[in-house]
Amino acid sequence: GSSGKEGKGWKRFQSYKGEAALPKEIDNLRIFVDRKAQTIILPVHGFAVPFHISTIKNASKSDEGDFTYLRINFQTPGQLAGKKEDTPFEDPDATFIRSVTYRSPDGHRFDTVCKQITDLKKEVNKREQQKKEMAD
Amino acid sequence: MTTQFDKIYHGIAQEVGKFRVAASGMAWKGEESEGVIALPSGDIKWAQWLRVARNFQLRIDMKDRRRETFDGFAREDHDKLAGLMKQHFGVTLEVRDVSFKGWNWGVTDFQGQDLAFLVSNKTSFELPLRQVANSNIAGRTEVSLEFAPSSSGKKPSRSAPDEMVEIRFYVPGTHARQRGSDA
Repeated sequence: GSSGKEGKGWKRFQSYKGEAALPKEIDNLRIFVDRKAQTIILPVHGFAVPFHISTIKNASKSDEGDFTYLRINFQTPGQLAGKKEDTPFEDPDATFIRSVTYRSPDGHRFDTVCKQITDLKKEVNKREQQKKEMAD
Repeated sequence: MTTQFDKIYHGIAQEVGKFRVAASGMAWKGEESEGVIALPSGDIKWAQWLRVARNFQLRIDMKDRRRETFDGFAREDHDKLAGLMKQHFGVTLEVRDVSFKGWNWGVTDFQGQDLAFLVSNKTSFELPLRQVANSNIAGRTEVSLEFAPSSSGKKPSRSAPDEMVEIRFYVPGTHARQRGSDA
């Protein structure tokens, strides 16, 4: 059914209305955290791909040799006992991006990016929680 | 008559160059390497225009299935380029819609040598399948693609772009279809 979706905490969100709203910083093909738009923009083979913070579960980093790896995990249905009803979309056959991993020789920068994502996630969660409490 | 566009990138490389359009064809020349990418008029098949990270991309498909992309065009260059494509090569500059919704769900579509990810029928990104080094299917509903590092051997500079090394998809739709077959 489609009526249960809202109750699962999924609501419609959108990062940008059009290309003109994209921040300038994406042109160096690096991950950019746009706090104002509550969005992480990932460079994918030349494309600038925004992901709203609501789609993101967490971010973690690890160091291996000359490189630092940053992994971003996304919210997907099927993570909790594979329940299809969690799908936040009309199309139950949609394909979800579950995770992406990037590498950089600049570990310090990935430290910062990882922290920015984690902080933004916390901030949004906190606000959502407050909203819920106000509604109760 | 030749029309020139400055500060244009070829492919996903970081070098800027000059892009020239004339009746005989198009060419990009790198500022540092002096490398030249030539697109003779008779070989040009399609031209597309889409928003990418480095502003707008002109994408040219050639008759021998070669594809060249040039990033760094301004939004205002569209009309000028569309006119030049039409006038010199009889080709329409197609505008390709790109999604900026920020969603992580959509539809995957194999388009030639690319795997495209579409959100609400608009392209979100494309992955060149030739650069996939390894792929894995786990638990029937998860597909991972690993990409070979572009910089072979030597350590890239700190200003290098971030490199995606792996992407994992969750494909719930395949579960029902594959049930009962252990293929």
